[in-house]
Amino acid sequence: MPGIDECLLEAMRLPGARGAALVDWTSGLALGVVGESPGGDQEASAAEAAELARLAAEHRAFASDAEEGEEADDPPLEDLIVSNRDSYHVLRFVRTSFDSSVFLHLWLARAEGNLALARIRLGEMAGRLVLG
Amino acid sequence: MTTLRTTPTTPPPRLPVRDKAAAVDRAWGGVSPMLTRLAAEKATGVLVRERGSLHLAAGHVVHAESPSAPGLDLLLTAHGTLRAEAWEAAANATDDRHATTRLLLDGGLIGPGALELCQLGALYDAAYFVLAPSSTPGRFRYGVTHPLGSVRPVPVAALERETLRRRELLHRVWPDAATDGAPLVRADPLAPPPITARQAAVLARVDGVRTAPEIARLLGRRAYPTLLDVRRLVSAGLVSPRPPAPPAVLPPPDVTDPDITLLKRLRDALEAL
Repeated sequence: MPGIDECLLEAMRLPGARGAALVDWTSGLALGVVGESPGGDQEASAAEAAELARLAAEHRAFASDAEEGEEADDPPLEDLIVSNRDSYHVLRFVRTSFDSSVFLHLWLARAEGNLALARIRLGEMAGRLVLG
Repeated sequence: MTTLRTTPTTPPPRLPVRDKAAAVDRAWGGVSPMLTRLAAEKATGVLVRERGSLHLAAGHVVHAESPSAPGLDLLLTAHGTLRAEAWEAAANATDDRHATTRLLLDGGLIGPGALELCQLGALYDAAYFVLAPSSTPGRFRYGVTHPLGSVRPVPVAALERETLRRRELLHRVWPDAATDGAPLVRADPLAPPPITARQAAVLARVDGVRTAPEIARLLGRRAYPTLLDVRRLVSAGLVSPRPPAPPAVLPPPDVTDPDITLLKRLRDALEAL
């Protein structure tokens, strides 16, 4: 059972990982940061990623169909993937039993990174982070 | 005299960039100069302010408490992360050498990741209220440690910066702080805009009496995100702060005729109903 830092260091062991952060998407606060940040400013990139995550999480267009009477997932998304010419950003929402609003943000170099692997591993890490 | 020579290839002047070092300095003095000084001297103890307290260990903030924000115990037990009896057992077994959070971790009742997340959430949440502008000076008692123990200490500068950022974020959503502490009433717009599931839960508990921090406590949620939800609901026209009640004791009317005075008082009493 890892803490926040162990979880981020584990994410950094993925091939092509340039930076990882745990960010609160309500306030835009980075609770933990490891490695580089896009643009070199950890706080600014956390706030921008949080804004994107909040928009995606709050718009119903991206939510899965909830069955009748079924409790809707909070947040309704699993992850968010942004790609550009040289890198990927994977934002993985962390689901907790207590009130929180955080996601793991992994910045991946496109040449060395494996998006499918990173997505699966990040999901496992998000689960282990809040286990027990 | 200087002459300015420009050629077509001269790049445009650089856009002004905010000096980050200066911004940090401003933030340091802006919230609580006393806290800044305590951080610099790596103090341990508790800073009591008007709206709550901050616990410091070696100049870092390890815990924050405010009547406006739900505590770690409530956040952990409200949605079944931890049973209330388990928390109580750990709190009762707490002594000088065994902090409550340490006992929970050692007992395998909660994982370090979940505890760090929940504790940081509670800390920043309560600190937002503790560091609110106050009319009375803060007091610091040296050497006091909190029975909950230290989970993930936060540097004072980071906490102050975040508090200022949160203040600004609220202001950007709806620039009226009255919604933060006043009883809330529902409004009925003709075409209500869509709201999120979180906001719907808050809206369902608006009853003309409860304030935003009370709704947060009721839902087992952090108070600051609830303030944000309420300001978004206000800006959407779905909720408004209840206007303050007229003063109970009205100033005596400026008339001498006893009948008119009586009638005026009767009218005022009826209006106040």
